[in-house]
Amino acid sequence: MGNKKKVKTTCRMCGTLCGITAHIEDNKVVEIEGNPDHIFSKGRICIKGSSAATWLNLPDRIYKPLKKNIKGDFEEIELEQAMEEIAAKLLELQNKYGNNAIGFWKGEGIDFEQQEGLYRRLAHAVGTPNYFSNDTQCYASRHIAFYLVYGCWPLADYANANLIINWGTNAPISHSHWTQAINEGREKGAKLIIIDTRYTEIARQADIYVQIRPGTDGALAWGIIREMIKRNEIDHDFVDKFTVGYDKVVEYAKSFTPEYVAEITAISPAVIHQIVDEITKARPRLASWVGCGIEHQINGVNNIRAITMIDALAGATDRKGGMRTPMGFNLPDLTLYEKKPLLELDPIGAKRFPVIYEMRHECHTLMLMDQILSGKPYPFKGLVMSAANPVLTNANSGKVTKALSALDLFVVKDLFLTETARMADYVIPAASYLEREEMFFNGAMRAGFITGKYLDYGLQTEYEFVKELAERMGAGEYFPWKDDHELNEWILKPTGYTTEDLHTAPGGFIFGDNPTEKHYQKAASGEKMFDTPTGKVEFYSMYLEAKNIPGIDALPQYHPPYYLAQPDPEYPFLLSTGARKQKYFHGRYRNIPQLYKAEPNGHLEMHPDDAKALGLKNGDRVRVTSRIDSFDTIVQVMHEKEIFKGSMQHTHGFVNENVNNITYDDVYDPISGFPVFKSIQVKVEKIDK
Amino acid sequence: MKAVIIGNGAASLAAIRSFRKYDKKSSITVISKEGGNAYSRVLLPYVLRGKLSYEKLFLPFSDKLDSLGVTYIEDEVLSVDDAESVLKLGKHGDLFYDTLLIASGSKALWPPIKGICQPGIYHLWTINDLNRLQIEFSEKKEVVIIGSGFVSLQAAWAACSRGLKVTLIEIADRLMPLVLDVRGSGLMAEQMSKFGVNVYTSTITEEISKREDGKFFILLRDKENILADFIIVGAGVGANIDFLKDSAIEFARTIPVDNYMLTNVLNVFAAGDVAAGPSVFGDEHVTHALWPTAVEMGKIAGANMAGQNIRYDGSLNMNVTQMFDVTVASMGKFNDADIDDYYVYDAESGKGYCKLCYKDGLIVGICLVGTSEAVSLLGKLRPIIRNRLAVKLPPAKLDAFLNVRFFQK
Amino acid sequence: MKVITLDTSKCVGCRNCELACAFINSKETCERKFSMIRVNHYIEEHAVIPMTCLHCEDPWCMAVCPSGAITRDPETNAVIIQDEKCAGCKMCILACPYGNIHFDAELMVSHKCNLCEGNPRCVGHCISGALNFEEIEDFNERSRKKVDLEISKYMKQTCKTQEVDSNGK
Ligand SMILES: Cc1cc2nc3c(=O)[nH]c(=O)nc-3n(C[C@H](O)[C@H](O)[C@H](O)COP(=O)(O)OP(=O)(O)OC[C@H]3O[C@@H](n4cnc5c(N)ncnc54)[C@H](O)[C@@H]3O)c2cc1C
Ligand code: SF4
Ligand code: SF4
Repeated sequence: MGNKKKVKTTCRMCGTLCGITAHIEDNKVVEIEGNPDHIFSKGRICIKGSSAATWLNLPDRIYKPLKKNIKGDFEEIELEQAMEEIAAKLLELQNKYGNNAIGFWKGEGIDFEQQEGLYRRLAHAVGTPNYFSNDTQCYASRHIAFYLVYGCWPLADYANANLIINWGTNAPISHSHWTQAINEGREKGAKLIIIDTRYTEIARQADIYVQIRPGTDGALAWGIIREMIKRNEIDHDFVDKFTVGYDKVVEYAKSFTPEYVAEITAISPAVIHQIVDEITKARPRLASWVGCGIEHQINGVNNIRAITMIDALAGATDRKGGMRTPMGFNLPDLTLYEKKPLLELDPIGAKRFPVIYEMRHECHTLMLMDQILSGKPYPFKGLVMSAANPVLTNANSGKVTKALSALDLFVVKDLFLTETARMADYVIPAASYLEREEMFFNGAMRAGFITGKYLDYGLQTEYEFVKELAERMGAGEYFPWKDDHELNEWILKPTGYTTEDLHTAPGGFIFGDNPTEKHYQKAASGEKMFDTPTGKVEFYSMYLEAKNIPGIDALPQYHPPYYLAQPDPEYPFLLSTGARKQKYFHGRYRNIPQLYKAEPNGHLEMHPDDAKALGLKNGDRVRVTSRIDSFDTIVQVMHEKEIFKGSMQHTHGFVNENVNNITYDDVYDPISGFPVFKSIQVKVEKIDK
Repeated sequence: MKAVIIGNGAASLAAIRSFRKYDKKSSITVISKEGGNAYSRVLLPYVLRGKLSYEKLFLPFSDKLDSLGVTYIEDEVLSVDDAESVLKLGKHGDLFYDTLLIASGSKALWPPIKGICQPGIYHLWTINDLNRLQIEFSEKKEVVIIGSGFVSLQAAWAACSRGLKVTLIEIADRLMPLVLDVRGSGLMAEQMSKFGVNVYTSTITEEISKREDGKFFILLRDKENILADFIIVGAGVGANIDFLKDSAIEFARTIPVDNYMLTNVLNVFAAGDVAAGPSVFGDEHVTHALWPTAVEMGKIAGANMAGQNIRYDGSLNMNVTQMFDVTVASMGKFNDADIDDYYVYDAESGKGYCKLCYKDGLIVGICLVGTSEAVSLLGKLRPIIRNRLAVKLPPAKLDAFLNVRFFQK
Repeated sequence: MKVITLDTSKCVGCRNCELACAFINSKETCERKFSMIRVNHYIEEHAVIPMTCLHCEDPWCMAVCPSGAITRDPETNAVIIQDEKCAGCKMCILACPYGNIHFDAELMVSHKCNLCEGNPRCVGHCISGALNFEEIEDFNERSRKKVDLEISKYMKQTCKTQEVDSNGK
C-alpha cells in the first residue's frame, strides 16, 4: 500500500502527444496532469488526456485473452493458447490460400512511428505485403501532397510567424498544443487567417475568417497565387534556385482571376485581396497548415499541393516563422520494403492507387473490404488488427461489418471489447501507453520523447505480441530484441544516444539544432536540396509526370469536388464528417462515463436556413440517407455564420448515430485513394422518435 | 472613542466589521434586546422548511464578538439622550457613547383584524416565532397565512414542503407587489396552486375566532369562511424606534439618513431596516427592509463612525429566493407605473419569465420567476443599474455585452 | 497570492476547462452545469469570454451571505462556499457582478470556484494558454509587454523604418 510515484511521460490518448505527469499509486494511475517541462504542451492537456485516469481503470477493461466459442460467446483462455492457435491458423491460411491471404492492420490507437514500423515488419517477415492502417483515410494524403512538392513535410513555425494560415484544420480540437504555439505567434503580433467551411474554435480568434465552399480550396489557392504573381510578391531568388515548374504555375494561374475564384469558392474578391495583402506584409514569415478538412475530396492531394505552393512562392520554406523542413535522426528503418518488397504478391490497392503505395506503402483498407467479400483478385482470409475500430471509423460501416464477419480468422488486440473487437475470433488484451517503453521523434524541433513501462498488468506490449507471433510463424529472426527496451536501444544506436539520455528529459530531449535555410547550405555543398526527383521543390511533379497516370496531372490543377462534379438532385445536401469533438478521438472514449454523460449523442450540425427549409429545430430526430444507406440522428441548428449553407457536419464514432453507415467507400481521390468524407450527398427527413 | 451600536443584526454586524477595518482600538458596545447570539432572520424560513438545521441560523462570528473587541449587552434601549450622548437601558442603566449607530431593525405588525391577537396566531419574524411555529408545524395540519409578502410566501412554501394544507389570503389583487410585477405575481399564484396551496386574492379578512374544538374560524368578506389549526400573519412591518420619542433625532416611520448614514444629529448614525437612506434612483429617503441593503448601510455607517468619509451611492432593492420549485428574484423597478419600456426573454433563453425594465432608455430593473441560472443576469446588471450606464443593445444581446464588458478596461 | 487570470485574446472556447472543472467537482460527470468556470462564445461579437471567480479583494458575495457560508481560505486566498452552511438562498448569485456563482440544483446550494486547493484544473486544461494561475504582478507584467509591443509596432510604422531581412525584401 501507499506506493506512490509521479512519472513524466507522453499522452497517447490522441496523436498530438502532449506531455503528461501521471500520478500512480499501487500500480494504478490515479490522476493525470500536464507536464510543465514539456517543450510543446507546457503543462497543459485536454480532457481526454486527464480522463485516461478513468479510462485505463474501467472495470470492463480486458486483461485475459478471449476466444469466441461455437455459440458465438467469448471465453477466457490463456495467452499461450491464444498465441499458439492464432499463429497456427495464420500459417494454415497462408498454406491454403497463399501467403498474401493474411494481413495486419495497425490502428491509430498505438500511434505511428514505432508500432507502425513493427507491424509493417511483421507482415513482410511472415511473407505477406498486406499491411493496413488508418492512414488510407487520414493523414497520408497530406503526406503525399507535401512529399510531391518538397520531398518532406515542412512544419509551420507558428510561434515566430508574422502570418498564420490554417486551411480546414482546427488546432484546439485536433492538435491542442498548436493552439499555444499559434497564440504565442499572435502574442508577438502574427495575424491569423482561418479558411474553413465551418466557423471552428480556432476561427473565433481569427483576424480574417474565410468561409469557403467545401472542396474548393484549390481554386482559392490558385487565386492567391495569381494575385501574388501579379503583385510580384514572389521570392524570386528562392523560386529560381530551388524550384521547378514556376512558368507552368504562372501560365496555369492566369485564369484564376478574383472574380472567377469568387464564383467557385463563394469568397469575395475583396477577401482574396485582403489575404494577399496579409501575405505581402508577412512574408517570408508565413506559417500555414492544412488539415484533414482538405484531404477528403476527390481533388484533395492537388488542393493541398496548390495550397502549399503558396508557402514556397512567398519564400517561407525553411525560414524562421515559416515552414521548417525537418531534420532526420538517422534512425534505422524497421520495415523490410527493401529487403523483402513482396510486390509480386500484389499488395491490396497497390495497382489501383500506385502513388500512395509507392510513397507510403499503404495497402488500401476500403479495397480490402471488397476483396474479402469478392475473393478477387485473390482470397483474403485472415486479419490481425491492433488498436483500431473500423466498424465505426471506416467508410461504409455496413460493408465493413459484412467483410470482417466473412473472415476465417479475425484477431483484435485492444483494451476494450469495442464494436470491432466483438466481431473477432480472438481478442488479445492490450497494454496501454503507460505500459510500454516507446519513442517519438519530432524532426522540426529535433526532439525525442520516451515513455516507460510505468504500469504492469502482465500484458503483452505491441512488440512482445509481434515478436511472439513472428516466432511462432517461423520468422523469429526478424525480431531479435528481447523486449521494447532492447529494441529502443537498437533504434537509438546510430544517434549516439541511449534511452537513458532520453529519460533525462521526458518533456523533450533535444538532439541538436535544426538550422534554417538548410537548402542554401546543401546547395553550396552539392547535397540534394530536397528529396524529390529533381532535388528541388516541385510545383510540377516529375514523379507524377514519369508515372503518367491518366487523370493525374503533374501540375496540381483545380478540379471541382465530387458533389459539384456529380450533383445529384435526389440527395440535395452535402454531408461532411470527420470533425472531432474535444472529448473523443475517432471511435474512442465513449466508454468514459464522465465524457459520455456530457455528450452522449452525435448531432447533425446544419445552417439555420437549411433547418428552416426542412422544418427542423434543435433536438429533432432525422433520418439521413445517402445512396449507400441511412442512419438516424439528432439535429443541431448552428448559427448562420458557423457552417456553410447547404452543407452539414456530423462527427463520427457515435454507435447510435453512426455516420459511417452512409459514407461512400467507392469515391476516392485518384492519387491517394482517400474516400470523400467531405463530399457525401444526402437527403434529410424528419422522423418521429 | 466609545462606539455603541443598538441592534445585533445584519446592519450591526456589517458595521462592526467595517469599523474594525479602520479602527482597531476603540471600544465597541453592542446592545440587543433579543437574547442569544446574533442570527440571520433571512434563514428563519429555511429552518422552518427543514432545509437548514437550527444551529445554522446563527451568524458565524456572532459568538466571537469579543475577539473583535466588542462588548455585548443584552438589554433593551429605552430612550436616547442625544444632548448628553447617553442611552438609557432597561437593566444596565446609562451608557455613554461618542458615536452611536441605531440598527434596531423592524418588527412585524398586527393588521387591524378583529381577533388577531390571540394564541395560535403568529408572525415569522424572530427566533422565538420560529421556535413556536416549529411546534405547530409538527403537530398541526392546516395553516392559513394572511398576507402575501416575501416572508409570507416563504412561510407558505415551508408549510407546503412539510405537508401542511396551506391557504393564503391576500387583501390586494395580487401576490408580492414589492417583489414581482403583475405577470410575475400571476405566475407565482399558478405555481402555488400546482403545489396545492389555496390562494385567495382581493380577499378581506373580517374576523378571526376560535371554535370550541380549538380550530380557528376565519370570516371572509363576500367569500366562504375557512378553518385553520393555526395562522401566520405577515402584513406590514414597522421600525423599532419607540425609544427615540423624547430625543432630537428626527424620525417618521423610519429614520432618515444622508449618504453617510448620518441622522440629523451629528454623532448618531442609523442603518438597516430602521433607516431611510438614499436610493440609486435619486430618492432621498427610502426604506427597503432588505438584507443586502442593511449590510451595505451597515458597512458605510461603520466606516464613517471610525472617522472615514465614505459616501453611499444609494441602495438598490433586490430580492431572491427559491420556492415552489422556481426562483423568484427582482431588482430595481419593475412595476408598470415605474417603467416606460420592457423586454421579456423568450423561452429559448432558458430563463423562465424574465422581464427587463427600462425607463428613459436606461435599464432600471428586472424581475424573474424562473431558473437559478438567470439570477446571475441580475447580479451582472447590478453595476449597470447602479451606475446608470446606458446599454444601447437589443436585450437578447445583453448577456454578451455584460460578459464582454469586464475585459474592456 | 496567485490568481486565475483570463486572456480573452487567446481563448478559443474549446471548453476543456469546463469539462475538467465539472469532473473535479462532481467526480462523475463533465456536464457543463457542474462547472464553476463557464466559457461563453459570442459569434456576432467575434468574442470568447471565459469566466470564473476572481476571488475579489472585498467580495460582495461574502458580505451579503446571510448564513456566513462564504469565507476566505487562508492558504489559497480563495473565496469559498461551505456547502453545509449554505441555505441556498441565492443571495450571492444576485450579488456577484460577474455571474460566477452557480446553483447546484441537486444539493440546493450555491457553488463556486475554490481554486482546487491551489491547483486549479481549468488552468492545466487550458490548451490555448488563455488561463493562467499566476501572481497578479506577473499578469500585469505580461500585459505591459503586450502594450509595449503594440507601441513599438506603431512607432515602427509611423517612423517608416523598415526591417531589412535576409530576403532583402
Ligand atoms: C423571515 C424573514 C425572512 C427574510 N428574508 C429576506 C430575504 O430573503 N431577503 C432579504 O433581503 N431580506 C429578508 N428579510 C429581511 C431582512 O432580514 C432584514 O432586512 C434585515 O435583517 C435587517 O437587518 P437590520 O440589521 O436592519 O435589523 P435586524 O436584523 O432586524 O436587527 C435588529 C436588532 O435590533 C435589536 N433591537 C431592536 N430594538 C431594540 C431596542 N430597543 N433595544 C435593543 N435592541 C433592539 C433586535 O433585537 C435585533 O437584534 C427577511 C426577514 C424575515 C423576518
Ligand atoms: S490533445 Fe489531449 S489527448 Fe491528445 S495528446 Fe494532448 S492531452 Fe493527450
Ligand atoms: S446561497 Fe448559500 S452561499 Fe449564497 S448567499 Fe445564500 S446561503 Fe450564502
